[in-house]
Amino acid sequence: MRAAPVDVPVAADAPRAAFRELRELWFQLPGTRCNLACRHCFNASGPHAPWLAPLTAAEVRRYLAEAEALGVKELYFTGGEPFLRPELFALVADALAVAPTTVLTNGLLIDDAAADRLATLAAGSLYSLELRVSLDAPTAAANDAVRGRGAFAGALAAIRRLDARGLHPIVTAVDDPERAPGSLYAALRAVLVAGGVTRPRVKILPLLRMGRAATRGPSPRLTAVDVADGDAATLPCSASRVVAAGGVYACPILAGLPNARLAAGALAAALVDTPLYHPVCVACRETGITCRNA
Amino acid sequence: VALLGGVYANHLALEAVLADARVRGVERVYCLGDLGGFGPHPDRVFPLLRDAGVACVQGNYDVSVGRGLADCGCGYTDPRDNHFARVSYQYTVRNTSAANRRWLAALPAALRLTLGDHRVLLAHGSPRQVNEFLWESTTPTGLLERLCDVHETDVLGVTHTGLKWQRALPSGRLAVNVGAIGRPENDGTPAVWYTILTADPEVAVEFVRVEYDAETLAREMEAEGLPPEFAETIRTGWWTCCLEAMPVKERARGRH
Repeated sequence: MRAAPVDVPVAADAPRAAFRELRELWFQLPGTRCNLACRHCFNASGPHAPWLAPLTAAEVRRYLAEAEALGVKELYFTGGEPFLRPELFALVADALAVAPTTVLTNGLLIDDAAADRLATLAAGSLYSLELRVSLDAPTAAANDAVRGRGAFAGALAAIRRLDARGLHPIVTAVDDPERAPGSLYAALRAVLVAGGVTRPRVKILPLLRMGRAATRGPSPRLTAVDVADGDAATLPCSASRVVAAGGVYACPILAGLPNARLAAGALAAALVDTPLYHPVCVACRETGITCRNA
Repeated sequence: VALLGGVYANHLALEAVLADARVRGVERVYCLGDLGGFGPHPDRVFPLLRDAGVACVQGNYDVSVGRGLADCGCGYTDPRDNHFARVSYQYTVRNTSAANRRWLAALPAALRLTLGDHRVLLAHGSPRQVNEFLWESTTPTGLLERLCDVHETDVLGVTHTGLKWQRALPSGRLAVNVGAIGRPENDGTPAVWYTILTADPEVAVEFVRVEYDAETLAREMEAEGLPPEFAETIRTGWWTCCLEAMPVKERARGRH
């Protein structure tokens, strides 16, 4: 079940995304430790022997301070499952003192007490606290076949708890390429409305053929021709960085892969042009994916 | 000076706002862009702006309509928002004269002025990106300080989100999102808001609420075949679409 994502060498002629400015900083707080082991997980997170180590609270705080001085616009906590780390609430409080903050979660650990703590944190900050809760299909049977038993009910319960407290989460779903375009969005929105969710918010992401969703076969790379005429300036890695075990990486999808690491220490050292070397860079450019909330 | 945010073809609100600014003795009026979109008869706002000598900044809508681009450049990814954005944009392009499109294409991306001893920079979304959303709850103070540094200004004025806010920065500088005059404030009332800046000698911000004939505008929108959701927003004051980009704090204050 592990199937850690595979790194590839950086080709000498790999095109580069010019770095513009730091807008988003992500923290892979729990590494790839998760309480689920979703079949399509691009970084193969799971409960057993995670391949990527967690960050310490001290590391997160050091990068938060550096990011604030650099004028960062948004902060994100991802994983793995960030709520597996008890320090998450304190770190979210620190992050919210700097910038709007988002936590990506499967929702299973958001009980009433956790939702209350999040609501208190949100109310105490000038900036928005966003929760992104993952659901991948509009029925328990279809969703749990991908995400694991109980994932649908747990996520929906968390969504309702958050919505009831004015935290109106964004439901994030990975689309299946076999599905009719637009159908997953409509179906999930209908599920939320039927479930009494007052502000149905749905974000659809493409399936990335990495980690557990990797397929065999040719894996094309981007060339200079693909990203001509400033095209690369619109890619997320031109304005986003990820802190994960080992340093600062180009993007949340490649976090932890040695060749995606741009600096071992200071964030400032990672604000450089990014080689678009990995096969997943093709999907990022072709789909126009943004890992941001909107 | 008076600062007007997105007009969105709301010619009736524009008339009311210009009249209000005149009564208040405003010396100069600036519009921060997005003249069309959402509302009916987009050509009607141009003579009003020209006759009142309003200096305009180019918004993302103006870039798209002016250059004949494929979409409004609002940058939505949500399918529902994109549907409404497409309807609105196609209607606006179809109903904007070639002369007005050329005028939009020639607008500046930013305007600089001085107010007392203060440098003021006016942009549409942000000075670094025409369609960047600077919402109150997603714009860190550190970012605003940096934008003021990089773009060498003491006062930064923007629009694009449609919701007004201001923030005094620790450095003594000021950021203000002037809101929009083309759409209500997502507060359950049809009124719109514009902004007056004064320097006496410190810069002060006043948000001014203006009522106008929203019912007539809503009927014009319906007669033009624009989506009923648009007219509902104009009548009720609650936003019904283009909600994807709105952060949770602002979203929680609305109805939808």
